[in-house]
Amino acid sequence: MSAEVNNKAIRVMLVDDHAERARLVEEHLIAAGFEVLSIISSAAGLVFQIEQHQPDVVIIDLQSPDRDVLESLAIVNRHSPTAMVMFAHEDDPDYIREALAAGISTYLTEGLNPARVRPVIEVAMAQFRSFQMLRDELVSTRTELEDRNLIEKAKGLLMAQKRINENEAHQLLTKLAMDNNQRLRNVAQTVVATLSAFDIRK
Amino acid sequence: MSDPQRLPQAEITELELGYMRLSDAAPLIMAKDAGLFARYGLDVSLHREVSWANLRDKLVVGKLDAAQLLAPLPMMTNLGAGGIRGSLMTGLALGLNGNAITLSNRVWESLELEYPDSAPDPLRVVQKLRSKLQQTGQTITLATVHAFSMHTILLRRWLQAGGIDLDHDVRLLVLPPEQMCDSLARGVIDGFCVGEPWNTVAVEQGIGTVAASGYHLWNNAPEKVLGVTEQWHQSHPATHLRLRLAIMEACKLLTELDAREHIAEVMSQKCYLDLPQRLLLPSLTGQFRFSKNAAPVSIPQFHVFWQYQAGFPWRSQAQSILKLSEQLLGKTLSEEERRALVQQSWRPDLYREAARWLGETSPSRDSKTENEHSQEWEFEPGIVLGADRYLALP
Repeated sequence: MSAEVNNKAIRVMLVDDHAERARLVEEHLIAAGFEVLSIISSAAGLVFQIEQHQPDVVIIDLQSPDRDVLESLAIVNRHSPTAMVMFAHEDDPDYIREALAAGISTYLTEGLNPARVRPVIEVAMAQFRSFQMLRDELVSTRTELEDRNLIEKAKGLLMAQKRINENEAHQLLTKLAMDNNQRLRNVAQTVVATLSAFDIRK
Repeated sequence: MSDPQRLPQAEITELELGYMRLSDAAPLIMAKDAGLFARYGLDVSLHREVSWANLRDKLVVGKLDAAQLLAPLPMMTNLGAGGIRGSLMTGLALGLNGNAITLSNRVWESLELEYPDSAPDPLRVVQKLRSKLQQTGQTITLATVHAFSMHTILLRRWLQAGGIDLDHDVRLLVLPPEQMCDSLARGVIDGFCVGEPWNTVAVEQGIGTVAASGYHLWNNAPEKVLGVTEQWHQSHPATHLRLRLAIMEACKLLTELDAREHIAEVMSQKCYLDLPQRLLLPSLTGQFRFSKNAAPVSIPQFHVFWQYQAGFPWRSQAQSILKLSEQLLGKTLSEEERRALVQQSWRPDLYREAARWLGETSPSRDSKTENEHSQEWEFEPGIVLGADRYLALP
């Protein structure tokens, strides 16, 4: 039995300050076919460990103070995304059930069953991917907006310098792009860079 | 004071209220200690949590009725940024200021600055820091407590004001407040921006020097808010009102120095912050030490819980916070989305409702300007606000 992503074992990092519990979880994870990279007890060094090992998934106690650290990695460090799975050691099945329903992936260590761990991790990773996709979409929307502003600026400069109207400026830009086999955005960038230097209006 | 008998009947009376191990949890602990929750017919249990993520999640799933939250968190949780998504809102801010930036003594000494016996000029320190980084080609590692926090906003602004390139000269990371001092001592980080008492702890341990108090970075900046879910508010409006009234009365009590000293003693107990009172006193009494052997500097505004309409959730500030948080998220909202989010999450109307019951004045407008006043000023007749300067970007 193995747990694989693209034929590679999912690499898991376990953050837990209870050594015994951590060992139990590790055993189950290995039995389920996961590769357990390391067990670390607390956040001091967590950031560095994650950067070094680049795990696919971090498993952390829902009650750990280090959750803010992990969340920040997911938010800020867009280049090495890491999914998170939480478990709760608290005797509080309500919280876990409600948290699950609300979108946190959790599982209990007690009676931990390898067949249950894998789907949970898969769920966590799927959730993470959808979050990542949403953000990629937003980034591309922003880029589009920036592109449009750049093109508008290039047109404005061409209109002023060549004393042509907006339509002619647009045609000129399009022609430049086609002649040079470049994207409109890149041509606009060159135009802005070249003409801004001479722009007497400032 | 209002007469609790005349208030609408509370929908529920037993409440679970979450907070973090920070000095600015004072209003919540004061409301409990002074019997104010009880006066409003509420039986409130206070729970110290270990992470902002946990506070937020417990609030969203209903394990907590209300919680102390970082000001950016309600809006960022509505966006689902970084974790769980939920409709959080606030009708009461829990105070202004309360943070500071601390550098390790090693870094401080490398700046060739004297140890401060008055409040250091934050701009001068950060400019020195930039020169040092340029000379040596080194980077430094600084920590804040959460990606979406005033701490991150203040720290980034301070660095930017000094001309430090956030992408190349400095490495910013998040650590839990309680691990800041240990990480500083071990050289894992070179400094941090954190709420009290953790700057004072670093100073007292002789491992850090405070480079700037939050007040000197952004005069009377928003800080924590009382968060609830929209759903909870809608099903418990009268309980929510009583809760805000009790906490507002606690905030008002905390204008007195005696009350500040008393709450420091209460908060030092094992069931609350579990730290010696002497570590809580400097910021709470506004007699703050920037380095270990220096004389205390008087900063009465280190924590403002009541004056200057400290509890009023200004929508203009929410807008600023949202824009700054968008930079962190790498996402830009439209003006319309931004306005909708602010309207939903920040509810000055709820503050006014509570203020009327208390017979207190409150601002009639939802927005104010920033960075225009170096001293206290009159916003409207009878409404005095504090200075609102912040560090300008170069």
